[in-house]
Amino acid sequence: MERNKYWSWAWKIGGAALLFVVAACSMSIDNVVQPASVNGGDILPVTLNVTITTNTAQTSNFMVAVLVPKIWNTAKNATITFTSDISSGDQGMTVIPAGTPAPQGGGLDWPTLLATRLGNGGNLLPDYEWVAFYSNSSYSVAGNATIHATVSIKIKTSPDNLSFKLGYCVANSTDGLSSSDRYGSYFGGCFQVNGTGDLIDFCNPQLANIDPRTSLDNDIITLTFDGGVTPTALDNASSVYLCVSGITDTGDSLSVCEQTNRTKMRSLGLNKWQIDLWPRKLFNLSDNKHLTGLRYFFTDATGGSKVGYGGGSQPFTYTFKCQ
Amino acid sequence: MFFLSAIAALVLLACKPERLVAPGEPVKALSGSWQIIKATRNGTDLTNRFDFGNFRIHFTDSSYTIDSLVPFIVSKNGKWAFDDPTYPFQLSFTPADSGRKSSPLLYPVSAGQRNIIITFSPGCGLNSYQYTLQKAN
Repeated sequence: MERNKYWSWAWKIGGAALLFVVAACSMSIDNVVQPASVNGGDILPVTLNVTITTNTAQTSNFMVAVLVPKIWNTAKNATITFTSDISSGDQGMTVIPAGTPAPQGGGLDWPTLLATRLGNGGNLLPDYEWVAFYSNSSYSVAGNATIHATVSIKIKTSPDNLSFKLGYCVANSTDGLSSSDRYGSYFGGCFQVNGTGDLIDFCNPQLANIDPRTSLDNDIITLTFDGGVTPTALDNASSVYLCVSGITDTGDSLSVCEQTNRTKMRSLGLNKWQIDLWPRKLFNLSDNKHLTGLRYFFTDATGGSKVGYGGGSQPFTYTFKCQ
Repeated sequence: MFFLSAIAALVLLACKPERLVAPGEPVKALSGSWQIIKATRNGTDLTNRFDFGNFRIHFTDSSYTIDSLVPFIVSKNGKWAFDDPTYPFQLSFTPADSGRKSSPLLYPVSAGQRNIIITFSPGCGLNSYQYTLQKAN
């Protein structure tokens, strides 16, 4: 009896494993053609050459996802098409709405699953997103076939000046990201958009940054000084303070440069310091005054050691604006 | 026969339909002073990182006043209203000097205390703040 039970389970498990193996496609991105830079607001053209190898017949939608800066609003500003050995002419693709569960994704939607499995491509600011597209049609593929597809991605960039590590993923609507050979992925080096405004640098560690990246003077903003990025005059400081000027819409410069409780930063360890502030209160702005930007330094308790952009004597800058 | 009819009539008259009254949803009362017990910005908890301690909003029947302002849905005193007094889903503020602003409203009971949770953007529209308010003692 026990022996029969054992064999019954063994058949079930073996059969399920066999079914899983035969009902799968493997995918790879063989190469990616993308420019090193574009001008702000231009179209970024990218070509992916993809190989799909099947074990058995399957009918699925093709999935292409891109890792991009959120500020591009890629869900609304991208067009993806592809050609392949098993289809005729350009095949259209459409954004998969956020919240749509990915296959074999444990209930996660595609953007969340991609971020969980594939990560952020080495981008150091949190303002990135995965945007996933499904082919408008599903395709029946034969078993033991090798299929080539050429994916054409066109994304309209925003006018912003930024550097970003783009990422790509291809998969299908049956296997999802269930194992590493079921999908193909590619992460590029630092891609540049030559745009306007302060550089939004996703590629390099930042000595200072402000969260949220876009805000107005009535937001609560968080300034972080990361002394671990490069040696600075504050390497041995036991406390760090903010020294900041607010530039008003009438061109005035209001300064708060003092070593008091309201400018004292809290230590996060490893020479990292942080402060949360409400600019309208810090600068005691009247109702009709607004700030267009900040210029800021970090100092020690005496004010004698002062660190600016790149560790030098020029201030860090921040522009108040919304997307 | 008469006796039986009388008993039947008595039995029938003894039956009195019970009037079932559905329990009424209590009207959500805001009157009083409320303080911020939790604050998030884009999901990041700011409660212990920013000084919300002195902020108070005082609601009366239709007006509100604010002490020790922090970034909030409004920055001036004015009038408030629910979209529906019995089942409110929105809480609106109309400051004396500007137009009405509305926030989605949650009204949970936590640890025996009635909380209200409002969501708004004091600066950029994409920066979402959620404050949990509780009656101040």
